[in-house]
Amino acid sequence: MPFEDYEDTIKKCLRCSLCKWIPQIQIKSQKYASICPSIDYYNYHTYSGGGKIILALSIYLNRLEPSEDLADIVYKCSTCGGCAISCKYLNKLEPLEIIYELRELLVEKGIGPMPKQKLYAEYAMEKHNPYNEPPEQRMDWVSEDIKISKNAKIAYFVGCTSSYRRKEIAKATAKILNKAGVEFQLLGSDEWCCGSPLLRTGMKKEALELMNHNLDLIESLGIEEVVFSCAGCYSTFKAHYPRYRKYNFKVTHTSELFNRLIDEGKLKLKENLKIKVTYHDPCHLGRDSEPYPEWNGKMVEVMPLISIPVPPKPLRRGTNGTYEPPRNVLKKIPGIDFVEMERIKEYSYCCGAGGGVKAQYPDFALFAAKNRIDEAESTGAESLISACPFCATNLKDAIDDSGSKLKFYDLSELLLKSLEDKEE
Amino acid sequence: MKIDKKILNEIQDIVGKENATDNEVILESYTYNWCVEFINVMEGKDPIPFWHKPIAVVLPSTTEEVQKFVKLCNKYHLKFKAQSTGLGPWNQPSEDDVIVVDLRRMNKIVKIDPKNMYCVVEPYVTGAQLQAELLKYGLNCHMPGAGPQVSPLASSTSMCGPGFTSSSTGFSGRNVLGTEWVLPTGEILRLGSLSLKENSDWFHGDGPGPSLRGIMRGFIGTKSGLGIFTRVAIKLFPFPCNIKQLEIKNIIPNYDFDIPNYMQFHLISCKNYETLELAFDRIEKEGITFMCFHTSTYGLHTIFSNTQEELMNRAVASPRIKNPLVVLITANTKREFEYKEKVLKTAIEELKVKDVVATGKYIPPNIAYAEALRSALGMHGFLATGAFQSTHGSMDTSRLCRVLMERNLPLKKEYIDKGLIGNDEGKGNWSTSYEHGHFYHIETPTMYDQTKVESVEGFVEYLDRCNKLDLVEHLGIPFFIEGDKMHDWYGPQCSNYHIWLRKIKTKFDPNFVADSGFYISPEKEENKTT
Repeated sequence: MPFEDYEDTIKKCLRCSLCKWIPQIQIKSQKYASICPSIDYYNYHTYSGGGKIILALSIYLNRLEPSEDLADIVYKCSTCGGCAISCKYLNKLEPLEIIYELRELLVEKGIGPMPKQKLYAEYAMEKHNPYNEPPEQRMDWVSEDIKISKNAKIAYFVGCTSSYRRKEIAKATAKILNKAGVEFQLLGSDEWCCGSPLLRTGMKKEALELMNHNLDLIESLGIEEVVFSCAGCYSTFKAHYPRYRKYNFKVTHTSELFNRLIDEGKLKLKENLKIKVTYHDPCHLGRDSEPYPEWNGKMVEVMPLISIPVPPKPLRRGTNGTYEPPRNVLKKIPGIDFVEMERIKEYSYCCGAGGGVKAQYPDFALFAAKNRIDEAESTGAESLISACPFCATNLKDAIDDSGSKLKFYDLSELLLKSLEDKEE
Repeated sequence: MKIDKKILNEIQDIVGKENATDNEVILESYTYNWCVEFINVMEGKDPIPFWHKPIAVVLPSTTEEVQKFVKLCNKYHLKFKAQSTGLGPWNQPSEDDVIVVDLRRMNKIVKIDPKNMYCVVEPYVTGAQLQAELLKYGLNCHMPGAGPQVSPLASSTSMCGPGFTSSSTGFSGRNVLGTEWVLPTGEILRLGSLSLKENSDWFHGDGPGPSLRGIMRGFIGTKSGLGIFTRVAIKLFPFPCNIKQLEIKNIIPNYDFDIPNYMQFHLISCKNYETLELAFDRIEKEGITFMCFHTSTYGLHTIFSNTQEELMNRAVASPRIKNPLVVLITANTKREFEYKEKVLKTAIEELKVKDVVATGKYIPPNIAYAEALRSALGMHGFLATGAFQSTHGSMDTSRLCRVLMERNLPLKKEYIDKGLIGNDEGKGNWSTSYEHGHFYHIETPTMYDQTKVESVEGFVEYLDRCNKLDLVEHLGIPFFIEGDKMHDWYGPQCSNYHIWLRKIKTKFDPNFVADSGFYISPEKEENKTT
């Protein structure tokens, strides 16, 4: 049985529903108080973080058997981790980890993942991308005006979505690096899916196979720093890989690199833009990019019924996510009027695409993204900025579907506009 | 039993196919709740947090849908149990074959009337949501101690609802105005000014004619045992300080808050319970506090800590405060603030007590001010052992609060010494003034470990003895006198109230469709009176 690691905590869910909301003291309106797209869409308590903990305990106590009905509920979650942030404001429960454990159990039992997730996993293993695209076309986005430095110590890990679906993000990223004089190499067709979609749908074994290939490759090339424009790849490398295998190179998200390059004077920003923008924190760049803390202590009973971890056990609460670099970039671009949404940073609302949802439950993914678009519009912004190609796809779908006048830009696209000589 | 598919289809015709289900996995998640483990022990079962599995869960979105559903229950003699935000065992079906009505989709703030200072809400509006909207008008609502994530409607209509701001905002049951109530028969009853033939509105909660508010909720509410409340008007209060939003700084868990102008915690150390009683009365008669409550030293550390480790550090490193009285002064102007502070200082001098904040020995964290404004202090109570529940639960005088604390002390210590409940030195009480000393509330929060059989069983034994103590020593009616077994024990010793309660249940719920596990069942056929 899984859940042993969480035995103590899964018995302590209070069913308080804090997991359904952003931290209570952060609530600024009725409309944008929720943190969980799943409970927002499906309504039954079962779909909340706490609901999933109850199901895990039921399985643990042999009250419930893994089933297709269980899978359909457990996979209707974007694994955004918002529930865990709100829960851990005061408690120590790990609803997100429980959801991952439930998915691994379902895979182990041959019930999970869901059909479309299974298909993209097969593609990821065969073609090394979940889109079933030819590996040799992974670099088709590279135009002649982009300079690649074959033996550079920095590698740009493009990711499957930017390589095949959101090529504009890859192009903008490469052009910005060129303008800053940053030499980088690409891994080309040897770059494999980072494994994020598999890891988050319970296919850990397969995901680790992809991880090992990528780490072997990067280490064999003597690369010192890997740059990511994809939040999903970034969090997978930064937070998840080290749980299974350590590595020695540095991982950097483009928002961090861009911010650094601006501060170093390597990017000359022009006042090309006069727009009001707001920023959507991708879950994987924000709370999910926080590394899993290591702890090798023990529980010590300090008073009857009260045991505390000694030394103190750090909790993964989203505290160390990547929040400021993208904001700093936006604030430094001349002519940009940056405004915040109500749900930001560690308690940002998910776009709804992750955890295999976009593939298997597109209606749910679109619902969550529309909710976020509505919030972005409420700020009065003309453009919505983010820093993840998968968020980009889903948010753009929601803009199109809802008829919103919002424009969407990846951070790299917006930054590139401010570096070019022409006005928008 | 499984629900008849034809009946489920009829329910789905009312609420929509996706909003009624008999999916076994979904039903399983509705069998669980906080404190169910000790309810199971009380019933002689294993201390697990799972209770009776419902046969279906229904998610209505309007009063009309609720009404049609309840009528269907009468037609097929099916029992229902309604829940709003759903915290606590009172939300669970108390027997098999019950349909859970989850009111989550009824989540509208129907009306905010700033001029007349009331609002109208549906069941799934939470306290924090409501307060966030009220803040835009400079208004505030009372929230129960359970926290800002729970339903003001449920607290107002169906529970008791004391809270941390009770000294200035009363309690939930006190603030109910017009109410829309779907009776167990499916009829809709509108209380107070909502029932007027002409120009009906929500501004008043009772009359003309005999008060139905007592039948609706009495002291502790019927927990859906007399139907389903679909909309309620709630009395509002001015927000205690000049802010339009809670602006929280930094990233979790290092949240910080700029304390608004004219807001100050005072922690008053009282040498004994007698002094505490005097301090309560003396300070509250001035009508100056936003909060005025007593908790133990340990409780004080708890509400000012965000982790177990922080709590332990505070317990070790902080100065000892005897029988603390927590006072929060708020004001909208400098003059008002200075006046209130001066009055408090005078009272403190007269009482010869110490304010440990003024001496600089204990500084509440800034974030506690934000949590106080949002009534979010209660959930801290779970930090130590993971679970707590209160025993006793009186609403009476400050003298009674003191007597109860004194009488309960040796009893609680007995169970602490056995290692069955958390060690708060027996002083883990929570007492607040209602409406500036108009009356007082006392309960005794007790920590236990819900994962340890002996702790759960120990808590149940202690709870039982608390209930008996209340009866023998005349300490008021406790919270957990609910359900047939408890009423049949307490009733004969308290004016036979249980007989009258049964008559009410029988009249209002002739087909016995509203689950009464936390209320009372109807009269038996042979005892029925007309």
